[in-house]
Order: sequence, then structure tokens, then C-alpha cells
Amino acid sequence: MTPFGFSNRAAALVVGLFAVGYLVLAFRMPEFTAVEVPVQPSTLPRWLGVVLLLLAGLLFFQRGEPGEDGEQVPAAGASGTAGAEAAEGAEGRADAAEIAEGAQAGTAGGAVPAASLGRIPDARLELAAFAASIAAYILLFEPLGFLISSAAYVFGASWYLGYRRHWANALVSVGVPASLYFTMSEFLDVALPTGPLPF
Amino acid sequence: METLDQIGYGFAVALAPENLLFVFIGVLAGTIIGMLPGLGPMSAIALMIPIAFGMDPTTAMIMLAGVYYGAVFGGSTSSILLNAPGISGTVATSFDGYPMARRGKAGKALAIAAIASFAGGTVGVVLLMLIAPWLAKFAVSFGPADYFSLMILGLTAVVSLGGRNLTKGLIAAVVGVIISLIGIDSQTATMRFTFGVPELFEGVQFLIVALGVFALAEVFAMLARRGTGGGDGTITSLRLNRQEVGALTPPTARGSLLGFFVGVLPGAGATIASFMAYSTEKRIARDGATFGSGNIKGVAAPESANNAAAVGSFVPLLTLGVPGSGTTAILLGALLVLGIQPGPLMLSDHPDVFWGVVASMYVGNLVLLVLNLPLIPLFAKVLKTPRAVLLPLVVVFCVIGVYGLSFTVFDLWLLLGFGVLGYVMRQNGFPAAPLILGLILGGMMEKSMRQALQISDGAWSTFVTNPFSAGLLALGALALAGPLLARLRRRPSEPSGAAPPEEGSGGDDGGSQDGRGGEAGGAQRSASSAGDGHAGDGHEAAEGR
Repeated sequence: MTPFGFSNRAAALVVGLFAVGYLVLAFRMPEFTAVEVPVQPSTLPRWLGVVLLLLAGLLFFQRGEPGEDGEQVPAAGASGTAGAEAAEGAEGRADAAEIAEGAQAGTAGGAVPAASLGRIPDARLELAAFAASIAAYILLFEPLGFLISSAAYVFGASWYLGYRRHWANALVSVGVPASLYFTMSEFLDVALPTGPLPF
Repeated sequence: METLDQIGYGFAVALAPENLLFVFIGVLAGTIIGMLPGLGPMSAIALMIPIAFGMDPTTAMIMLAGVYYGAVFGGSTSSILLNAPGISGTVATSFDGYPMARRGKAGKALAIAAIASFAGGTVGVVLLMLIAPWLAKFAVSFGPADYFSLMILGLTAVVSLGGRNLTKGLIAAVVGVIISLIGIDSQTATMRFTFGVPELFEGVQFLIVALGVFALAEVFAMLARRGTGGGDGTITSLRLNRQEVGALTPPTARGSLLGFFVGVLPGAGATIASFMAYSTEKRIARDGATFGSGNIKGVAAPESANNAAAVGSFVPLLTLGVPGSGTTAILLGALLVLGIQPGPLMLSDHPDVFWGVVASMYVGNLVLLVLNLPLIPLFAKVLKTPRAVLLPLVVVFCVIGVYGLSFTVFDLWLLLGFGVLGYVMRQNGFPAAPLILGLILGGMMEKSMRQALQISDGAWSTFVTNPFSAGLLALGALALAGPLLARLRRRPSEPSGAAPPEEGSGGDDGGSQDGRGGEAGGAQRSASSAGDGHAGDGHEAAEGR
């Protein structure tokens, strides 16, 4: 399965519609009349719009060719579910281990194969969820400040993606943003949002 | 022998203990700052200028030149390890550097980058000493029409090599130029495609798009792969065997020469140089098909070119007092603050500064190599981070880079948007390189197009009547025609002919026409011979990018 892979025809339609919209805007652009100029601000955009429309037309009539698309990912039904199951299994194991001996939990989590990143079998939904998490991070970026929002985001996302060494995770998610923050603000004078924190 | 004496004098200045110390400090600081997201050589130098204030001008310049080198190298580190090029000059490095890192060869990629940078810098310095005055004259004679055609050549070269489908590459390039035109038009102050959003008035920053379509899209792709197929961060040997050294020498030499000469021209020297070196090597290499999936030559060529170009950009600065790039403009500012006016008189008024800086560039290069080779295993450890942690951290890395640039949340949304766009593009076979190059060159292309047409009184023929420009456009047309001709050769029964002349006449109205003409020929052919030419490249696509 190629998530978000479309046929050339569909891609051409999208590009074509974009080109038409762009051309409309380009032709509505006011002419610059204060001084005589050989190239109007709209000259290049109009050309670009026309060229893009032509290219979209060409693409529309091209057959999709094997190997032209992006990356294949494990099909949703087969290994994707297997991966999710593996993750769940690992979670169970990790829980058991945690009860037995806290420190061992880390090793159990670490043994989870790298292929089990994420939890939703369908790659498309997984990607959408991940994009949504970034959106949430951006939304909270200024209200909460860089430190809190980044720490929360890194911890939450790593945990969701399947990182089970919670103490290490907490350390990284606070430590890395904090060191980035202080490098940027103290050393380089880049003011990142502080949020409710006093520094 | 006068030159030799002067070089000797320069080295005497550069090797004075104090200066040596500051070269070291400069290179180290530059490397660290360059690795940080969004901070390239320009910001690195700007940050170091206050420190340079009280210094002796020679020492100050020597330190700042070291910062410049260090930052360029630091930028390639994040390109290779995270597919997050912080500056435009290292975008081409990520094409093969990142796939190498994904295959567990991060150490080797970084070592090649360091060595190729060193070689490029060395060749650049030697050329700078020998032919600086002559080159400066040539660079001045390069008119706007020539620049426009040079940029068209850069774009078409990248498109023709970028992917499996020429149409998709051209679409990406056009969209890149479209993005570059957003904002207030520099000549007429007309708002273009800003939709009244104040954050768009100044245009879309290169860094946002680069981090979006490269780094963030890679994060999405890694997630979709469920984290498989990545480099595990084990440091394979940094050492290159004799065979590899043999394979790397010619591309490095060519990249260095090309980089230097392109770097002398004002404008996006290092960027165009690295892309051109990359595409040249891909074209002439026997194993060109493996470019983009971790070919060592694909790292060496752009790295040697961008460093040689960095040196080359000192030619107009030191000999004419005209900065050729943003970075050298900042250096010019620093020089003026220190009380030195670069230009034709600098050689006679301040020979210690001129030759001291030239020689210290060489020393700086050496320090860079000595400093960075032992640190490579440390850098490459980044890849040992578990995927589940690395992914969110890369997101934070991108966010801080973009926010630190403009301090608006709006740009973060743009970043996310470009990340999604980048992912959808790669899933549908649209290459990202032409998009980013179109964005970098778009503004400059329009500017030189306007200047050229202003000079020619609106006659579009200026692009083909000017010999340099015509030659460059013809090369650009060839770059697009090349793949088509290769396909024709594989299908001898196909009627041949139409493509080349069509290509040539398309040049009349500049590049946009040119590209279209080329593609029109190509599409008919690819429609009739669909599957044949491209199928062979299929395995390459599976590697991703």
C-alpha cells in the first residue's frame, strides 16, 4: 500500500485546479502604472500559471508507471496489524515486567522491534494522528511556552509511538528542550516564548 | 615570484599563535552554530561579530572566516544525519548523504563530507591566490541575462535528474518559483498572493519550506514505514579504502573547480554550485542510477563544490569590495566596522589582511578537518536515538528553527503544511529538489529577468542574442533533451528529430517557454513509449526520496 498515493490523473486534476485558481489571481493583479516597467508584477505569475496548466494537462494523459510512486509501506491488513499486535504484546510484557521489577521494564520495551512504531494499523490514520499531534503542539506553543509545550509533546509522542523507558523518556523530553532553550535564549539571544514559566 | 612571497607572508600571519587560536575558536563555534536548526553561516558570523569588535582586524577576519567554514560544515552534518538542511548550500548534500546515513554509513558520509569540503576549500584557496583579479573582471562582465540563463540551467539540470518523470519535476520547479513570488514585489511594491496575511508580506522563507519538505516529510515517511529501514547508528569505519578514494577523487576535483568558478559569480553561489556539481556527477558517472540512494560521489561532489564556492565568493568581496552573497555581505559589514575598506586598494593598503585571510582560510580548512574527523562518531550517535524519541525531537528541532527565524506561530503552520505537502509529493513521485531550488532561485530569476529586459527595452530576444546567455540556455535545453534522447536511443524504431530543434527555439522567451517546449516533445514520446524508459528506473524509486 502507498499511503496518499494517487493516480497521475488525480494529481494532474489537483495541479490543474491550482493552476486555474492561480491564473485567476494573477490576471486580477493590478498593473503597475506609476513608472514604465517592461515586466509587470503579474507577468511572471501569468506565465507560470500557463506553464503549470500545460504541465498538468500533460500529466493527465500520462500513464502511471511502476516505480514512479513513493514508498510502499506494510499493508494495513497484514504486517501493520501484526506490528500493532506486537506493540500491544510488548506493552503487556512491559506491564508485567514493571510489576516484577521496575528497572527491567526498560529492557523489555527496548526489545520491541523498531517496526512497531505507532499504534493505528492504517498508515493513513496514523499519519493523520501524528500531524494532528504536531498541530496541537503548535497551538499550545505560545500559550504554554517553548519548554512546557515541547516537553509535553516529546514525552507524549514518544510514549504514543512506543517508547517504553518512561524515565529515560522524561529525562530526554525535559532535558533536550531545556538545553535547546537555554542555548538559544542565553547564548544566542533568540527569545523563545516563555509561557507561564518565569525564565 | 612576488605572489609566492606574499603567500609566504600570509602564512606567517596566519600561523602566528594568536591567529591560530582564533581560527580554532572560529571553526569550533561555527560548526556548533551551523549544526543548530535554522542558523547558517550568516547568523553564525553575525553572532560572532560583537566578539570580533575589539580585535586586531587581521585576527578578527581570520576568526570570522573560520566561523564561515565551520558553519558550512555544520550545516552538512544536519543534512546528512536528519535530512534537515539548515542552509540552501547543503540541500544537495542530503540527496545522497541521508540515504547513506539510513544505511548505517553515517560516519562514512560525514567523513567524506569533511574531506571533500577540505579538498574543495583547498582548491578554492589556491585558485583564489592565483587568478582572483582576472576572475573578478570576468564576474563583472556577467550581465543579468546571463544570470537568468544560468539559473534556468541550474533548474533544468536538477529537474532532468530529479526523478522518474520529467513532467512532475517541472511541476515541482514551477510550484517552487510560484512560492518564491509570494509577498511584496521588490520592484513595484505590489502585494502578490499574500491574501492580506501580514506574515506573508515578506514572502515564504526558504528554511520553512526546506525543513517542511525534507525533514518533516521524512518524519512522516519514517512513521509510515513504522521506523524500519533506518540506519541504526552503528558507526561503520570512517576510513575510506583505496578504491573509494580513487572513485571520489575525480568528482571532488571537478566539484571544486566548478564550485569555485560559480562561487565567484555573485548570487546564490554555493547553492547553484552544489546542485550543478551534483547533477554533473550524476550525469557522467557510470553508476549514475544509484545517485540519490547513497552514492558516495553524490556527497563528495556537492560538498567540495559548496566549500570551493564559499572561497570563490571572497573574490568579489576582497578584490572589488562587492559582496556576492548574504554571508560575504555580513563579512563586508564586519570589515567596515573594523576600519578596512575592501576593494582594489586593499591589496596595497592592507596586504596583511588580504594575504593573512587567504592563508588563514587554508589553515581554517585544515583545522576543520582535524577538529571534525574525531568528532564524527559523536555526531553520528544522533542516529542511535530510538525512532520513537527521534521523531518528536526532529519535529521540535524544526519548530525551533522556524520559530527562531520569524517569531510567528503562523510560520509553524506553514511548516506543518509544507511537511504534509512534502510527504504527499514524495508519495506521488514529485521530487522535492526542484521545488526547493525553484524557491531559492525564483526571486533572483525574476530580478535578473527584469534587469535584462530593462536593459534591452523589453525585447525578450536578449536572452538568446547574448552569447553567454544563449549558450547557457542551450545547455539547459540539452539537460531536458538528454533523457528524451536516451529514451529514443533505446527505441530506434521511434521517429526521431523533432525534439532538439523544438528545444532550441523554445529558448526565445526565456526559461518558462523553454521548459514547456522541451516537455511537450517529451510527453508525446513518453505517451507512446510509456513504461519502457521509466521502468528501468523503478528500482531506484523504491529507495524513496
